[in-house]
Amino acid sequence: MYLQTRQLQCYPLSSSKEMKAGEPKAAPVIITPSAGVISFPEMARLGNGVPVYLIDKGTVDLMRIECVFQAGQIMEEVHLSALSASAMLTEGTRSYDAATINDLIDSTGAALYHLADKDTASLLTITLTRKLDEVLALAGEVLFRPSFPDHEFRLLTDRRIQAFLTSRQKTSVIAREAFYEALCGAENPYGRIARESDYRSLTTGDLRRFHQKHYLPLNMYITVAGRYPEQTLPLLEKHFGINGRDGSGRPVRPILHFATARPVKIFCEIPGSVQSTVRLGWDGITRNHPDYQGLQVATTILGGYFGSRLMRNIREEKGYTYGIHAVAGSFREKGYIVIMTDVANEYREAAVKEIKKEIRILCEDEVTDEEMTLVRNHLMGETARMFDGPFTIAETVRGIIDHETGHDYYNRFTETIRSITPGKIKELFNTYFNIDEAFEIIAGAR
Amino acid sequence: MIKFERHTLTNGLRVIVHHDESTPMVTTNILYDAGSRDEDPRATGFAHLFEHLMFGGTPSVPFFDVPVMMAGGENNAFTNNDITNYYITLPSNNLEAALWLEADRMRGLDLREERLNNQKSVVTEEFRQRYLNQPYGDLQLLLRPLAYKVHPYRWPAIGMDISHIEKADSRSAKEFYDRFYNPSNCILSVAGSVDPEVVFTLAEERFGHIPSGEHNGRRLEQEPEQDERRELTVHRNVPAAHLIMAFHTGPRVSRDFYVLDLLTDILAGYDSARFPSILIRKKELFSDADIYLSGEADPGLVIFSGRIREGIDIKDAEGAVTAELNHLAEEYVTTAELEKARNRYESNRLMSYMSAANKAFNLAYQEVLGDAEGINSEREQYMSVTAEEIMVASQCTFRPGNCSVIHYLPAKR
Repeated sequence: MYLQTRQLQCYPLSSSKEMKAGEPKAAPVIITPSAGVISFPEMARLGNGVPVYLIDKGTVDLMRIECVFQAGQIMEEVHLSALSASAMLTEGTRSYDAATINDLIDSTGAALYHLADKDTASLLTITLTRKLDEVLALAGEVLFRPSFPDHEFRLLTDRRIQAFLTSRQKTSVIAREAFYEALCGAENPYGRIARESDYRSLTTGDLRRFHQKHYLPLNMYITVAGRYPEQTLPLLEKHFGINGRDGSGRPVRPILHFATARPVKIFCEIPGSVQSTVRLGWDGITRNHPDYQGLQVATTILGGYFGSRLMRNIREEKGYTYGIHAVAGSFREKGYIVIMTDVANEYREAAVKEIKKEIRILCEDEVTDEEMTLVRNHLMGETARMFDGPFTIAETVRGIIDHETGHDYYNRFTETIRSITPGKIKELFNTYFNIDEAFEIIAGAR
Repeated sequence: MIKFERHTLTNGLRVIVHHDESTPMVTTNILYDAGSRDEDPRATGFAHLFEHLMFGGTPSVPFFDVPVMMAGGENNAFTNNDITNYYITLPSNNLEAALWLEADRMRGLDLREERLNNQKSVVTEEFRQRYLNQPYGDLQLLLRPLAYKVHPYRWPAIGMDISHIEKADSRSAKEFYDRFYNPSNCILSVAGSVDPEVVFTLAEERFGHIPSGEHNGRRLEQEPEQDERRELTVHRNVPAAHLIMAFHTGPRVSRDFYVLDLLTDILAGYDSARFPSILIRKKELFSDADIYLSGEADPGLVIFSGRIREGIDIKDAEGAVTAELNHLAEEYVTTAELEKARNRYESNRLMSYMSAANKAFNLAYQEVLGDAEGINSEREQYMSVTAEEIMVASQCTFRPGNCSVIHYLPAKR
């Protein structure tokens, strides 16, 4: 497609703007993008064995330090304890109350974010390099000495219930929850849907127990990104290296049971909504499966970029939606494939029909070389951007560590991008996108 | 300190280049001095709809995204009340492709009816997805016509109403294109591992032949001073009440802006700021409480926005906010508070330097405000804000007659 445009030597005009003397230059030659050889950052260890990944290439005096724990929802014995323990870290410690902690953090200009998801929990710190000592002392304090005070917990619970009730009005949230529940089962931590009563019955005792068991040095690794990351090692040793020499063990990940995924059609009614969220999906594969990288290329063709099959048809031709996306994603222990879009209520059946039509075409016809080249170049550019700048690299590295995909994951991925054939793409669609076995979720007004 | 070089082409196109060798990428950012304030009040949302058309292709590039992707790039755009901004980030050895693409769509855009009709549907769905199908999503649609009576800021960039988008026609698209999308009305900034002289030469080659056009000739009637409190109460299907209080402020380039911007951090910029400490934790009136500047070029708003806890009367909640704002007019903020706000500003400023794309946008934005050098000189504006200035600005701004209030309440079941 691009070659055709390059052969045009003049610019026919569709507007009335007049051209000055002298024709504009012909289209430039486009250089095929490359992500180069990607190297995995160096690792050091603190005295107590905590791994520290050092990500260099900083240009400003700002450091990003993330402490990651195997302390996500899959480790919960009491529902919501992982998320709440994480959110309560900065609400009081054995030495400081919440107001003092916030005051100390804010005086440094640093930002501390507590994050928790299905598989992991982390404390992310971004700070001026000159404030590093103070900020790491505070990070150590909130991570290893939180007190989970009752008053702050009650306030937090009220806030979270309000946010939870608000989210019940969002078609996108309801459809997402219904999808994971159908895929993994209502009792599985990846599929379980929170209820208001879960928030109400949780206690600070539950959080203390969760914290004690999971927020351990031996259950943690650290990424440091910025200028001269190795210079932070003595400070990390000072604030994180002292704990855990007694060898408190690393908690074992539970064996997860998954419901047998059966194709279902689910309609979630949200009265009064002016749009419906459509989710069409399948059981998928995790990042270590040999087909996972190929599936990334396949879903990109279907719905992974602005000019994808689904975007061209459903947004640019039909105008049913502002956006439609296809993703082959993976929790640590469960992969999934999903197509998602928000459409006017009156278009939702038509949208489902068109999605299935596009999949059928990809199961039957091989993608042209032209389209393959486009997607290859696009994914190569995307991969290069995932390694542009130390903070971005830190995020990418975290994905590699958490999913245990091996340090050469992205070098293998760029090789897949270069070498995967249209025949293999077609095969992947036939293997993983069985239209008769799809989960079909719609959330919207009746 | 962000170093940059500037050069103006003979057709008036301003080109700014920042060399950053730490990235293998380059961002080209092209900012058009055209936003929703330039729209006909009967056809609002048009500048944003037009932004969508800019991806519709030209006779030589039928699908804009195809060459961008071939070059390993990503691109996007946004429209606000003042400007429309487009960027492409791609490996720096493909810089010329990005310049070629931007020049091509500046002069030969496909504005056929069919293209327009399709994007009208897409934007209608965007309107629904972002503003109508979200709890509290219509607050922006309610606030603007309450706070502004004359200035085009009285409608949001998405438009007043879906019906306006449906009425757009290709004749007005062409007029808009001719008036605003030309070299004299835009700024090109480039940041990444590129040599400024090379960029200037390439810019001349790619954009130099485009007729300069005329500067937009914008003449807007300014908003008269508000002298009476305005209040709007609505009921919606939401679980909790929400309070908005908006006060008129000065333009983006004024001392008022920097003073109030730093003040909003002292009030709600971090967890130990006044609103989280007092309104959320101590008095337990709000579950979240924020205050921020709308930040437009013409005189804008400082907006308080807070979700109210169950069982709290919205009038009591509003009373507590008013008390905090009145307090600012009577007592100086502390040195420690100023210090915190400055430290936070410093961190945020450095954070924004982490991305070449961000630097490219900020250079273009400062230039359209008056001078790209603002990217560096603004720091001093923030650092020099005094407690006295904050008190005076608070006295001028947080007056009852200068306030527009929305009580957004749960519908009775």
